[in-house]
Amino acid sequence: MANGDDPALGREIIVTRVLDAPRELVFEAWTQPEHVKHWWGPKGFTTPFCEIDLRPGGVFLRCMRSPEGRDFWVTGVFREVVAPERLVFTDSFADAEGNVVSAADDGSGPDVPVERLITVTFEEHAGSTRVTVRHDGLEPGAERDLVSQGWASGLESLAEYVVEAA
Amino acid sequence: MPSDTLDSTFAALADPTRRKILARLASGEASVKELAEPFEMTLPGVSKHLKVLERAGLISRGRVAQSRPCRLEAAPLREAADWVVRYRRFWEQGFDRLDDYLRELQREEGEGGERG
Repeated sequence: MANGDDPALGREIIVTRVLDAPRELVFEAWTQPEHVKHWWGPKGFTTPFCEIDLRPGGVFLRCMRSPEGRDFWVTGVFREVVAPERLVFTDSFADAEGNVVSAADDGSGPDVPVERLITVTFEEHAGSTRVTVRHDGLEPGAERDLVSQGWASGLESLAEYVVEAA
Repeated sequence: MPSDTLDSTFAALADPTRRKILARLASGEASVKELAEPFEMTLPGVSKHLKVLERAGLISRGRVAQSRPCRLEAAPLREAADWVVRYRRFWEQGFDRLDDYLRELQREEGEGGERG
């Protein structure tokens, strides 16, 4: 993260991976609930619920369950759907009914943006597929939002371990 | 954030004794002697851990010559828990799982076991 000192650049995330599968299949794995349930989320998480209305303006709602059994609902709206090349969608925390949960609800403050914009591209190279996920830069408040939502990771557990032991 | 800072934070946090020292400091500053007691460690033993924590910027030492009390510096910890890192991990781990799943799917297809 060479750009980490520059807030504007440092807040954009790009993650890319080459997968040994044809593009159509990779696109399906991303966009069909029965596939998504098999792999979405970090290690140890499950996806007990997933609905996807795959069209511009269509809504998705997904539940990720942490290894500790905590549920994280995420919803969003597709801005672009170009099968099997490109997806652009918003991404927000939600409740089980699909209502966007605003950061104001957990005390982070009404100014915190609750919506992320994510672009996913699928490029085929000789039977393999390069998938690139790009998060557009977030407002500074958004990180408080994410942190307060308790995104699970070893790092966070460490930080929590120290804070909770106080 | 500079990755070398993150590396030193990771390295410092990798040791259980150092994590316990940080947990103790989360409730307030303490002298080396006070930190050594619960761990049944020698003062030089604790001092070694404190040096690692200090280098990683996770603690600072007071200027009172005799006791030089240690206190927790939370900023690097917060940085380590930064959402950029977390989101990156989120996607990397998702990709790992997707990779496994796609292999499984294609193996099944190869064996003639079609599946939706």
